[in-house]
Amino acid sequence: MLVMVLIFYLIPLVMTVYLSFTSMKNWNVKYLFDLVGFYNYHRLFYMFQHDPSFKAIVLTTIVFILITLVVNVFGGLGLALGTFFLSDIVGSKFRLLWLLPRIAPIAVYSLVWYYFFHETSIGTLNSILMELGIIHQPIPWGQIIPWGAWSVIIFVNGLVGVSFGMIVFTSALNQIPKELVIAARVDGASAWTISKRILIPLLKWHLLYVLTWQFLSLLTTYCHLFLLVEWNLVNRDYGTTLALYVYNTAFLGGELDQGLAAAVILSVIGVSGGFLTLKLLGFEKMMKRPRGDV
Amino acid sequence: MVRIRLENITKEFGDFKALDGIDLEIEEGEFMALLGPSGSGKSTLLYIIAGIYKPTKGRIYFDDGDVTDLPPKDRNVGLVFQNWALYPHMSVFENITFPLELRKVAKGEIRRKVAEVTEMLKIENLLDRYPWQLSGGQQQRVAIARALVKEPDVLLLDEPLSNLDALLRIEVRAELKRLQKKLGITAVYVTHDQAEALAMADRIAVIKDGRLLQVGTPEEIYERPRHKFVGGFIGNPPMNFLNGFADRGILRIGKSTIPLPKEYESVRGEVIVGFRPHDVEIGEGIEGEVYSVEHLGREQIVTVSVEGEMVKVIVPGDRRFEFGDKVRLKPKKIVLFDKKTETAI
Ligand SMILES: Nc1ncnc2c1ncn2[C@@H]1O[C@H](COP(=O)(O)OP(=O)(O)O)[C@@H](O)[C@H]1O
Ligand SMILES: [Mg+2]
Repeated sequence: MLVMVLIFYLIPLVMTVYLSFTSMKNWNVKYLFDLVGFYNYHRLFYMFQHDPSFKAIVLTTIVFILITLVVNVFGGLGLALGTFFLSDIVGSKFRLLWLLPRIAPIAVYSLVWYYFFHETSIGTLNSILMELGIIHQPIPWGQIIPWGAWSVIIFVNGLVGVSFGMIVFTSALNQIPKELVIAARVDGASAWTISKRILIPLLKWHLLYVLTWQFLSLLTTYCHLFLLVEWNLVNRDYGTTLALYVYNTAFLGGELDQGLAAAVILSVIGVSGGFLTLKLLGFEKMMKRPRGDV
Repeated sequence: MVRIRLENITKEFGDFKALDGIDLEIEEGEFMALLGPSGSGKSTLLYIIAGIYKPTKGRIYFDDGDVTDLPPKDRNVGLVFQNWALYPHMSVFENITFPLELRKVAKGEIRRKVAEVTEMLKIENLLDRYPWQLSGGQQQRVAIARALVKEPDVLLLDEPLSNLDALLRIEVRAELKRLQKKLGITAVYVTHDQAEALAMADRIAVIKDGRLLQVGTPEEIYERPRHKFVGGFIGNPPMNFLNGFADRGILRIGKSTIPLPKEYESVRGEVIVGFRPHDVEIGEGIEGEVYSVEHLGREQIVTVSVEGEMVKVIVPGDRRFEFGDKVRLKPKKIVLFDKKTETAI
């Protein structure tokens, strides 16, 4: 176990941090001992101040994570509660539909949205709107900056996260003894009151879990974004987050030093963000206090 | 307080018939036990009275009003569950006040009602605790307080004692019955424990496979089961059954014969003979061989093999029986059941 942690986790971590202080390019060992101190970090900071592209990437990362997170958590919660109150059969079929983003391979899933948001009239959205006479010219949704591009990437990733949240919340809801809901209904509580006063408080732990998990995964995922940007569906600057930037710079661009410095910053944000959420929502207290529902 | 009338209640879940044509009347202030094995449809019937399930067929009346289509909240029933279903994230006080809050009862009124009900159930010093800080018995009291605080017309209890340990259960059942009589509230009490039903109920409705087999006072159910199943389900140990043949006032069981009581004189043909372990004398009668003996202090349960069929008899503890002793059993009271339909003759 310890060896595994060492090989797969600790060594890459140390290497990443170390290399971000060198001028490593293209895995060329001649740069391995060329220590440059905080140069790479300084450069990132300089770019943030003066490079409009990089500024856009940072801004996109923040907006993307915050809004997608809210969409994920509340969308997933809403759907889980909605299907919870629907009859079982309808509910389970409806839920299956929402699993599609999880089941479909990333490329296939992204391709669906590529055609949906396509900038010409072959795009589903454009053709529907033109058919309805709402617009007369196809709109290049992903190229409208910043909000067009942001909306597309938030939408596409949001759906994936919503389905994740829904799965977690649904299974959590099914763990709650149904007598709690029956008791409340007999006392005259509406579905809304039952959700607000009983179900959501009992999902506190799961909310925290989904929130943290999604935060960390949004911070680091780039697969969908990579495809959407490569296919030119969304604007390159406003469709790229820091995670994708790290990938592009370090592995495609060959500027390992630069990319890894950004990766280190990303990791620091991730770790501190993770701890912060746990702290804010009283993780420790929750773990220590015996929970009443067990 | 209301009288409940169930008329031809049938409930189907898909293809499965959980309840089949239940007719039952529960008097105002009566303590009615729904007794039956697990899966017989007791909870389903209780949920239909509460309005959580809608019957597939049939009507429900509270007094003379048809409530079949009323949602649970308009029926004014209090419900207590086997697992008590206390809200784990709410304190005892919050749990008890929740039904009142939903009814938008004024703050002062809430405090007064909570004080009243918690005093009655002796839980007034637990108000700040959370459910996980309570013992099983305390949780059960809180659940009852929550059901009673809204002053329901009917109290519905679904196996509320089965999560308590045996000693506490016996203590609580006496208290619960006292409370019900004191309040004069109509109560429907679901249980699979025949001793509980006998001890608490004014009347017992025995349910099996979604059908009502018999309704009657504990004494009636015990003494005059209308169905072989009822006899075999009630009593500890339950009723004994032997195959016999009735002919002209004589009952033949294996090689032995005993006279038939007057009311069965005209019966002829194959029958099932039922008799209670308490209602047997050892003397002359049905031949058998002692199979085992269990001492219970003042009494002993002697299991006797009658041509391969086991019969339990309860006799005073001072007589000694040995394995293999030949004995003759004389049932003092018997009930005859039809061999095919298993209903009482
Ligand atoms: N919501 C339901 N859907 C399908 N079958 C059910 C449902 N509720 C109960 N049943 C079935 O109906 C039968 C009676 O159940 P229940 O009333 O809970 O029995 P009891 O309370 O007597 O143990 C059982 O066989 C059970 O599986
Ligand atoms: Mg039940």
